[in-house]
Amino acid sequence: MENHPILSSRRNIYIYFLFWFIIIITNFLLLNLALRLDTSAALGDSLVFNVLFSWLGLSFWYPTRYISFEDTKFYRILLNHIIGAVVVSAFWLLCGYLILIEVLRFDDIYQNFFFSTLPWRFPIGALAYFVITSFYYLIIYYSGFQERKLHEAELKGLITQAELKSLKFQINPHFIFNSLNSMSALTTIDPEKARGMILKLAEFLRYTLANNDRQKNKLKDELHNIKLYLEIEKIRFEDKFDFTEQLSEECLEQEIPNMLLQPLFENAIKHAVYESLEKINVNLSCICENGYLKIEVSNTYDPGLKSKKGTGVGLKNISERLKLIYHQNDLIQVIKENNIFKVLLYIPQKNIA
Amino acid sequence: MEKMNKVIIIDDETLAREIIKKYLLSHNEIEIGAECSNGFEGVKKINELNPDIVFLDIQMPRLNGFEMLELIDNPPVIIFTTAYDQYAIKAFEVNAADYLLKPFSRERFEEALEKAMINLKNKKEQSKIIKELIKHTSNIDEYLERIVVKDGPKIHIIPVDSVKYIEAQDDYVLIHSTEGNLLKQKTMKYFEEHLSPDDFLRIHRSFIVFIPRIKKIELVEKETYKLYLDDGTSLPVSKSGYEKLKKIF
Repeated sequence: MENHPILSSRRNIYIYFLFWFIIIITNFLLLNLALRLDTSAALGDSLVFNVLFSWLGLSFWYPTRYISFEDTKFYRILLNHIIGAVVVSAFWLLCGYLILIEVLRFDDIYQNFFFSTLPWRFPIGALAYFVITSFYYLIIYYSGFQERKLHEAELKGLITQAELKSLKFQINPHFIFNSLNSMSALTTIDPEKARGMILKLAEFLRYTLANNDRQKNKLKDELHNIKLYLEIEKIRFEDKFDFTEQLSEECLEQEIPNMLLQPLFENAIKHAVYESLEKINVNLSCICENGYLKIEVSNTYDPGLKSKKGTGVGLKNISERLKLIYHQNDLIQVIKENNIFKVLLYIPQKNIA
Repeated sequence: MEKMNKVIIIDDETLAREIIKKYLLSHNEIEIGAECSNGFEGVKKINELNPDIVFLDIQMPRLNGFEMLELIDNPPVIIFTTAYDQYAIKAFEVNAADYLLKPFSRERFEEALEKAMINLKNKKEQSKIIKELIKHTSNIDEYLERIVVKDGPKIHIIPVDSVKYIEAQDDYVLIHSTEGNLLKQKTMKYFEEHLSPDDFLRIHRSFIVFIPRIKKIELVEKETYKLYLDDGTSLPVSKSGYEKLKKIF
């Protein structure tokens, strides 16, 4: 906080002087009614001393800002401000005296009154100094607190972003190099098909790389990319798998976290198709209901397969991502029965009844 | 006429086999004995045809390239072909038969073939290299998830979690599993190193046990313990074995 908390805004200046105006009125009434000072003397005294202090008060901000609690010892702060209070109070009374008696020439009765109340006036000035200074400290503390809170929220956001980034799908190098190898073979066997495969791979890579910054995409677009992937795998593995889908137009327009489904299809290919000697069926079905887009990706697998279990990293990442994005931890379900491996995802949608 | 060299190509992708075939077309001294699309077929054909050179993919259904090599008695000269396999690369840095990173050029292919031909001439040396290679790759690899055993013409794949315990028998180990008892030519040390220490523990010079199957440990006499498995089998526990058991229970 660098700017003067009062002078930096017109509104605060009004409030500040309104506050002093009330003090002036109160002070005047006190002098006039309770202490029986005549009207002009009471008015002059109240006006001069309070206006003076209101101006002085504005300047306390500068020392307060530099004598901060964070890097100065407490007794030094206290000492500084006690000296400050004494000097300010003395200066204030001297100025008031000079204006009222030397300049405005108030009468002897007032002079007597002034000197008799001096033992009161001095501590009142010092006290006012402490009140205003404390007020400034409060502002500094509060704004620092707010800033920290803001900073913390910012940091939290950054962490979430970083986490999301680390959980996001990454292109599998096996897939890329094996595809390149297939293309290399196709260039002489079937150049047309090779070109087709290159174009598909290019489109797949472009989508996958370009979507690193966006969080969500329409299911339609995600699906297009997944189909590119499956078509490329199909060139590599020919008749080793079939892909079927059941979904409605409504589902296609819903948004899902980008590249969320890709690892599911990669798993199906990697664990079922790569490992199997038989034909595998990969199926996708989507339904929109009860505020959720329900996506089911399933694949058959070779029952004779005593293969390595996957590490589960792919599924865990999906689950973590859903948790971070939707703040719900029951959005994924994995079912393995009757030689079918099935993953169910529930993606919250605002526009589905 | 020069003796023909027999080659087998093992890869689960047709196109990957195609390119090798294509590159081999200009080599009249080489005949392609067989093409295989999975590890089972590969083992069968290698044992049957006794090829000179094998082009072998690593990632394949059922049996991967390394597991296959464990099951072959007379390993031929192997040229690995792999898309992206940090383990293979590391393995061959130590001991090069040769490896081809997909996709590979004709020049690179010819180079590998030339190396293989030289290796063919001193085959003894070669089988030593392969054995070394297996040792190294499995060293770098993660813990075993399955054990492959050849039992006559049959190949058994035993998932590690169906193993009950492993018993030393001279140069072999006897693997006791829910699928029967099978003999494999490996050392206890090999299994001690390659099975996950979270699941397996060597409780005795001659026994490695699958931890989830342990039912109880009993004191027989002073400082002598016996371990019971869930099927009632009892196994002796050595002193150091007991110390290790104490740490996990």
